Amino acid sequence: MEILCLFGVIGIVVVSLFFYLLNTARKKAPPTPASGKKDYTPVYVSIADKPLSIIQGMDRFVAEVNRTEKAGDKWRWVPMLIFFGGLGLAAIDLLLLLFGFFSFVFTAGGILLWIAAFVMARSLRKSDSHDFSPRYKGTKEILRTLRDDLRPGSTFLGHLDLTGAMLKTKVARETKDTQNRTTQYFRDEWLALKAKLYDGNVIRVSAIQKSKQRQPYTKRSRISGKYKTKPAKFKGTEHDLKVRIVVNPEIYQIGANPKVRQGQNIGKYTITALNTEGGIINMIASSPFDEVEHEGILNVLQSAYSLLQRKAA
Amino acid sequence: MSKKIIPFVVAFILVCLVMAVAGVFALSGAVTAEKFGSNVVWTQSYSTAESMKVIDLTGDGQDELFIQNTSDVTVYDGSGNVMWSFPYSSPKTTLGDVNNDGVEDIVVYYVGTGMSVDVISKGQVTTLAQTLSIGFPARVSVIRFSSGPQIVLGDSSGSILSLGLDGQPRWSAGLGSAEVRGMDDALIGGQPHAAIATNDGAVAVFDAQGTQVWSHSQEQLRRMRAFDLNSDGNSEVVTGGEYGAFYIYSAVDRSMLFEKSLGQAVSEVRVVELNGDPSSREIVVGGKDGGVWAFSFDGATASQMWSGSLSDKVTEISGLDINEDGKEEAVIGDDSGKVAIFTENGTRNNLPSHSSGITRIDIGKLGGERYVVIADGSQVQVNKVNFNSIPGFQYTPLIVGLIVSAVILVIAAIIASIPKKPEMKVSFQDKSRESLEAERRMLKESIADVERLRKSGEVTGDAYLARLKRLRADLAENEAAYKAAGHQIKVETFKCPNCGGTLELGMDKCEYCGQVILS
Repeated sequence: MEILCLFGVIGIVVVSLFFYLLNTARKKAPPTPASGKKDYTPVYVSIADKPLSIIQGMDRFVAEVNRTEKAGDKWRWVPMLIFFGGLGLAAIDLLLLLFGFFSFVFTAGGILLWIAAFVMARSLRKSDSHDFSPRYKGTKEILRTLRDDLRPGSTFLGHLDLTGAMLKTKVARETKDTQNRTTQYFRDEWLALKAKLYDGNVIRVSAIQKSKQRQPYTKRSRISGKYKTKPAKFKGTEHDLKVRIVVNPEIYQIGANPKVRQGQNIGKYTITALNTEGGIINMIASSPFDEVEHEGILNVLQSAYSLLQRKAA
Repeated sequence: MSKKIIPFVVAFILVCLVMAVAGVFALSGAVTAEKFGSNVVWTQSYSTAESMKVIDLTGDGQDELFIQNTSDVTVYDGSGNVMWSFPYSSPKTTLGDVNNDGVEDIVVYYVGTGMSVDVISKGQVTTLAQTLSIGFPARVSVIRFSSGPQIVLGDSSGSILSLGLDGQPRWSAGLGSAEVRGMDDALIGGQPHAAIATNDGAVAVFDAQGTQVWSHSQEQLRRMRAFDLNSDGNSEVVTGGEYGAFYIYSAVDRSMLFEKSLGQAVSEVRVVELNGDPSSREIVVGGKDGGVWAFSFDGATASQMWSGSLSDKVTEISGLDINEDGKEEAVIGDDSGKVAIFTENGTRNNLPSHSSGITRIDIGKLGGERYVVIADGSQVQVNKVNFNSIPGFQYTPLIVGLIVSAVILVIAAIIASIPKKPEMKVSFQDKSRESLEAERRMLKESIADVERLRKSGEVTGDAYLARLKRLRADLAENEAAYKAAGHQIKVETFKCPNCGGTLELGMDKCEYCGQVILS
């Protein structure tokens, strides 16, 4: 019985290793997490340059990541081959056993090869990258769209933070309910952009993702009396887009646009706050959707800009 | 150290380790491919042998197979033919040259006309004594005392009676009140004595006149044997207890030379020359639950060499140098019919199993060939045991080590060839003064934003500090870029000497790690 258990455990380990190496060789993507959010390459881009340099730099960065990944790709089947090599060595011991000789030397060598294959597979997987978030490409599109409006010689300023919306460092606050369960509120300002425009206006854009998650907790079952641990529960997400335009008073005056007012929908966004006092447009647009595309952001910018009326010459 | 070099350094260390271990295994000879097998030469039906010995009983220089059970005494020739067979009631037998003709005789102590003793010499039966004043047969032994050989009888209630070769009683004694379980000749000062033990734990040594040299009482006893383990002319008395006590006494004064508790009843004890070293003797002990232990006696005390197991009660142990390397292997049988060979280092090799429990195993030459004779519950089987090994197998660890080392080096080369994964924090920074100033302004605005968010309660705790830390680090980078571009800049940040986080000038306590800063 004990021997059966031992062989069972060994068998499970070997089969697990086989599938781990097979998935490494086939470069099978890990399953989508329970929250339904796909994992993307965690990248932080600090922006303080001219649009073309930023766009080219972002393209170069993607190419560099892909190059690293491709360098590992050509060796992906090697751990699998080493695994089979180990299996071959163990088979020699099996063959000897069939002839009546007991030996563990080749099996020991095979186990060492399996460990080596596992280490190599781990290393290859480390060179893997997740896909780049659509926000990465979307930000490039925003920069590309705005580049012609930028004041000559000036730069875009800000950051693109794609390291993750629900990191510990992004917990804005925590609350506890009556059952002492903790809910964490995350605030991820994933895009901050400031630019001095050709017409003298200064525009600031902040895209913020706000998420909510109840933390795992342990409770005692009323029926069985057993303690059960409940996993973390994702409670939803929403997006805020803050736009601030400091208007050049020599060229523009702020007017009214019936299509741009509080409560008005612009694509996936709804304007939740609008203030035009003091020659500055402050607009906050919110979206209950899980994801917002760059077109939505540009539409909100366009709407905010539509409040400006050019002064007569 | 370069990233390209590190995998090779690690690989080199691993290769050294692998090859060192492989070398140790290869040179120590610990790795072997050996197998023991057996071929049945002949088989005869024989029920539950109690005593068995391969020995020359005819004086022709060829050994015969003597065997005895509860109902007869039989001798087979080397080919398995019955030479003679005599029926007896509850016999106990021993072998010894009683009539001084240079040929071993069979002494039979049995229930006949009262308790009787017969001597079978070359197939001729002579009744030596009848109606003896002793109980049911338990043990018999021919002890060659210095004053002359005596036949010592032990019964099932602890009575002992010694007979001269003429069949006349010489002396009698009582030892304990249970069956005599062990009777052996023991040397004291080179002179043979009789070492006797009973089931209730009484052990004693008697001289030729029946006087006890010493006696001792220990736990209930299953086995007692006497061997001169260190060839000093004084024997050692080895006992195995019902509750696992394994003792080695000096036959001279019963001083304890070695003791160990084995955790199960000791069912058999034999001497087997396992290590081939004549300066030590090895004792193999079998247990009621299948345990097997080997001890080496170095002349003064014993030490355990190894332990192993069989699946049932060990019933017999015998030694044979099967692979002719000068070291005997222990051939051990158990009550379930399993027969196994244990080598010097305790490696177990199974021989074909028997359908009933093994009762006796002996080794000797029959017809000029060395055979292992195995008796079980229903038959006696003569086997030719063979040994096979793969030459040079001991060096396979080196081959395996080389294969593993080659793979490790290949992996190291592959890992070294993969370029370093790029940093996941990228910065696109224009170095013009105007751009750097704008960036600086933007960072200060962002810091002000974060402060405002904290004051309004929108951001608290770790998130506030993490964001602030990042913005201040960007501010420090901006200052560094200023300096690198050769522009004048009023430095506004410094690094915490404790955690390295960027702080604004004038702060006297690190917001991230709490370190008090004196400047």
